[in-house]
Amino acid sequence: MQLDFGMMTKYMPYFFRSLGVTLQLTAASLLLGIVISIPLSLIKLSRYRAVRAIGTFYTSIFRGVPLLVQVFIVYFGLPQLIGPSFTFSAFQAGCITFAFNSAAYISESLRGGIMAVDVGQREAAMALAVPYGKMMKDIIFPQAIKSVMPSLVNEFIGLLKNTTLISTVGLVDVLRASQMVVSDTYRAFEPYITAAAFYYVLVMAISFLGKQLERWVNKSDQR
Amino acid sequence: MISVEHVYKSFKSLEVLHDVSLTIQDGEVVAIIGPSGSGKSTLLRCINLLEKPTSGHIFVDGVDVVAPKVNIQQIRQKVGMVFQHFNLFPHMTVLQNMTYAPIKVLRMDPKQAQEKCLALLDRVGLADKATNYPATLSGGQKQRVAIARTLAMDPKVILFDEPTSALDPEMVKEVLSVIKDLAGTGITMALVTHEMGFAREVANRICFLDEGRLIEDAPPKIFFSTPKSDRAREFLDKVL
Repeated sequence: MQLDFGMMTKYMPYFFRSLGVTLQLTAASLLLGIVISIPLSLIKLSRYRAVRAIGTFYTSIFRGVPLLVQVFIVYFGLPQLIGPSFTFSAFQAGCITFAFNSAAYISESLRGGIMAVDVGQREAAMALAVPYGKMMKDIIFPQAIKSVMPSLVNEFIGLLKNTTLISTVGLVDVLRASQMVVSDTYRAFEPYITAAAFYYVLVMAISFLGKQLERWVNKSDQR
Repeated sequence: MISVEHVYKSFKSLEVLHDVSLTIQDGEVVAIIGPSGSGKSTLLRCINLLEKPTSGHIFVDGVDVVAPKVNIQQIRQKVGMVFQHFNLFPHMTVLQNMTYAPIKVLRMDPKQAQEKCLALLDRVGLADKATNYPATLSGGQKQRVAIARTLAMDPKVILFDEPTSALDPEMVKEVLSVIKDLAGTGITMALVTHEMGFAREVANRICFLDEGRLIEDAPPKIFFSTPKSDRAREFLDKVL
């Protein structure tokens, strides 16, 4: 059994292009997911039971259905529902699926983070006549984010790895790129190990940056 | 003027306030005292609607805060509150803590707000702490900032909810002296406190609460020398 990583060098530009796709998909999905998770977390904290139930139901769906099934429903299923002339690109379908899916998880930790903020903060804001929206944006969220940061970094990492599922509908991400190299060279180990290395390095970089970010977010607690 | 009329408040099956009525005139300083669990804080928190009374009415400047369509923000602009645990915003500097509501709620010009707040900070003796974060301050300093933050909104009334109860003994005095200075300025104050000496010295009236009922409402001289009820006498025997 002979390993030949040398032959991988000519595919490197190809890998790096696919890396861009993976990164774009991950970043876009995460950002959109965060945006969706904010109102979702507030829904889950509503004083009305019926409103809270909507949030719980939303999360249960995205938790209870395998992500690959979600991808297929959005990519193949939704266009049929909306109309034959309507199609998603694989990137759009992935972005939508992963964003809504992440929002389900992020909103859970955001809800916990908001609840962990001392109730006195809310009362002080209320006593100063600060309206709900401003109170959330300027006083509660900035403090909630501290406890949410670690799980947000985890979500980022999980999301990055989950984006490999999009290769099943043809988007050329890092995994798909390695599969194409496999069919080109009839060798499996080197291309897949290369893909693995790409993902591993990315995940390490994200956790390092996440640690820095956590430290920065906590700076006002220090003396 | 604040007028509390027949207020009841229950948490689930626990009745905390029972038919409480009292009036606070403009410029008056009223101390609310009583054993723990007697409903003092709850009464105070009903006035700016941090708690909603189960029944009864509370009028602040003629507006019933319990009415269903009341503009609660407008009332809270007039009624400031100082908390036992200060509740400063930890992610903002002292000055940001103070200017936040004037700028965002009253839409005051940021420069003007800063000048005003620096002057207030000077008044509570903390002019040099404007750029500090709350975590760097002592308890007494935090409470003085919290008082200054409340003053920055130009309230007509300030509610003090046990402002010295969370402080180390050596810091109580600095906070009380700030409150005492305020009492002379004509601002209306309602003060829940366990500092009997301070209540006697500063308040125009003492309201004694026990088990959710307002039992006595009298000038301090009369209350502390000749309490009418057995409950108040027992209480004073224990604390004085």
